[in-house]
Amino acid sequence: MDFYLGLIQIIGVHTLLGLSAYCVLLTGQVSLAQAGFFAIGAYVAGMLTVLAQWPLIPALAVAAVVSGAVACAVGFPALRVKGLMLVVATVAFGEAVRLFFFNFTYQVQAGALHLGPHGAEGFRQIRYFPEHGWSTLDVMLFIWTVVVLVMAGLWWLDRSRVGAVLRAVGEDELAAQSVGINITAVKVSAMTVGGLIAGIGGGIFAHYTTHIEHAQFGVVLATFAIAYPILGGLSNVFGTLLAAIFIQGFLIEGLRFMGDWRNLLFGGLIVLAMNVRPRGLLDAGTVRALKRLFAPGKERSGA
Amino acid sequence: MDLLDLIDAVQSVADGVLFGATYALLGIGFTLIFGVMHKINLSYAAASIGAAYASLLVMAVVQAPAVLAFVAAAAAGGVIGALVYLVGFRFIPLANPLATLMSTVGLLLLIDEIIVHTTAGVPLNYPALFSDVIVQVGPFGLRGDLMFVFALGCVCMVLLLLLLYRTKLGLATRAVSLQPTASLLCGISTTRVNVLTFVITGVVGGIAGAMTGAAIGMLSPLLSLPLTVKGLIVTVIGGLGSIPGAIIAGLIVGGLENAFQFFRGVSERDLYIMLLLFVFLVFRPGGIFARPAGRD
Repeated sequence: MDFYLGLIQIIGVHTLLGLSAYCVLLTGQVSLAQAGFFAIGAYVAGMLTVLAQWPLIPALAVAAVVSGAVACAVGFPALRVKGLMLVVATVAFGEAVRLFFFNFTYQVQAGALHLGPHGAEGFRQIRYFPEHGWSTLDVMLFIWTVVVLVMAGLWWLDRSRVGAVLRAVGEDELAAQSVGINITAVKVSAMTVGGLIAGIGGGIFAHYTTHIEHAQFGVVLATFAIAYPILGGLSNVFGTLLAAIFIQGFLIEGLRFMGDWRNLLFGGLIVLAMNVRPRGLLDAGTVRALKRLFAPGKERSGA
Repeated sequence: MDLLDLIDAVQSVADGVLFGATYALLGIGFTLIFGVMHKINLSYAAASIGAAYASLLVMAVVQAPAVLAFVAAAAAGGVIGALVYLVGFRFIPLANPLATLMSTVGLLLLIDEIIVHTTAGVPLNYPALFSDVIVQVGPFGLRGDLMFVFALGCVCMVLLLLLLYRTKLGLATRAVSLQPTASLLCGISTTRVNVLTFVITGVVGGIAGAMTGAAIGMLSPLLSLPLTVKGLIVTVIGGLGSIPGAIIAGLIVGGLENAFQFFRGVSERDLYIMLLLFVFLVFRPGGIFARPAGRD
């Protein structure tokens, strides 16, 4: 049972990671820096609960703010460029963050233990959940409360004017600019919100794994982050959730019985999915079809 | 710093510049594909390493001199390039850049996994040429295998430039990269040019993969991600779409990488390369040879 609860936790955290990339992708920018923000969130939240003995929720809040601030600061130089240049800039940022934590050591003596991040060895003993008597179920419920809150927030954002502005920039920058939208401000805000969400996700990730190290936050995690929204489709937040379940639940855990062949199928199935459904698993057409299915007669044109 | 340290520093930078030829070739590949298709092919470096592995397979079957490994790698690179185009680009609508980005990520993982699967994840030795030759220039020794890699890289670059600027195919390629619609109206088949670009960059990538193997002395699937990142960095520092820029940036990145390694240690080396990239993005986003409209 705990195995499935753990799997649901992983899906929850990866959904948060995907949603952080979703925000940035809405403006048409491909950011591979999300793993970097995720790492910053993980280390900041971990250090606050372990070294400063903070409770979890304020620590997560601070982690989110720090990641968001870094995202905002990175956004300005990085978003001056687009397309391939932005991909490279964000890859480089993500790698720079990873390498920073690879070289980062800050340890405090606590009894017989050395606590805190220790360079290449990583950051052990993030034992907030076991120390405070949280069961796996509690942690799972906590993670999904956060996921539901973030998804609800983004859902609401999507349906408000902000969502329209984000999508306008994503569809056609020139047109958006000509109706008076400040595209730099929009892109940097999207990046900041993405950073906030990645920071929360990273903070939770640090606490349920109890041990983080630089290698977990590499380019592979960054590509996973953009894989969820792209594979799931950008038409709404549920696409990301669906893709996180598809990748973590089916491709990674569900195919485990295939042993070595699983990894081989993984890449192949992503390629296949993109060939068959280039606009994502849950694209705008599918959403419309689902609506028609569940609410026949309410379909109206121009909606 | 005394004289001996200085000599060591210059020596390691020289080695780095020689090895930088591989980065330059990878940078050219990324630049060419982006120039023609306006698409990023993230599986490129992995395909290059894959081609080098394929040449090892050929060498295991046929008894042949080590030079043939490079030829085999080039041929395999061309074939893999065509396959990458077929699987990752041909059937995906071009108006959707995210889909092709994702499909190349899938291909990157797929190629890596095929390598891991066939070799059980064990690094394989790669034949080096002239590894016993060391040319002494004053106090410095230039390694024969690195010199060979560098010379081969230079030959490839010259051939590539000739192909692009002296042949009809090169003219068509440049036409498609400037104006796909207009070149289609002139009777150039864009699909054919795209396939050929993938084959040509695949050949270049295969040679770069073989060069990496020969310079390091072994091949490992772990090489593909760092090479992808380095190749992309070289592309940006050199300026997108600029082949001379990619060449110079490749050599600079190779040299600086060893310089940082010498002064700051291997664990901090890549950190400074990333910072260098950010310096370029902030102060010179168009790269070394920035063209006025080269900011895409």
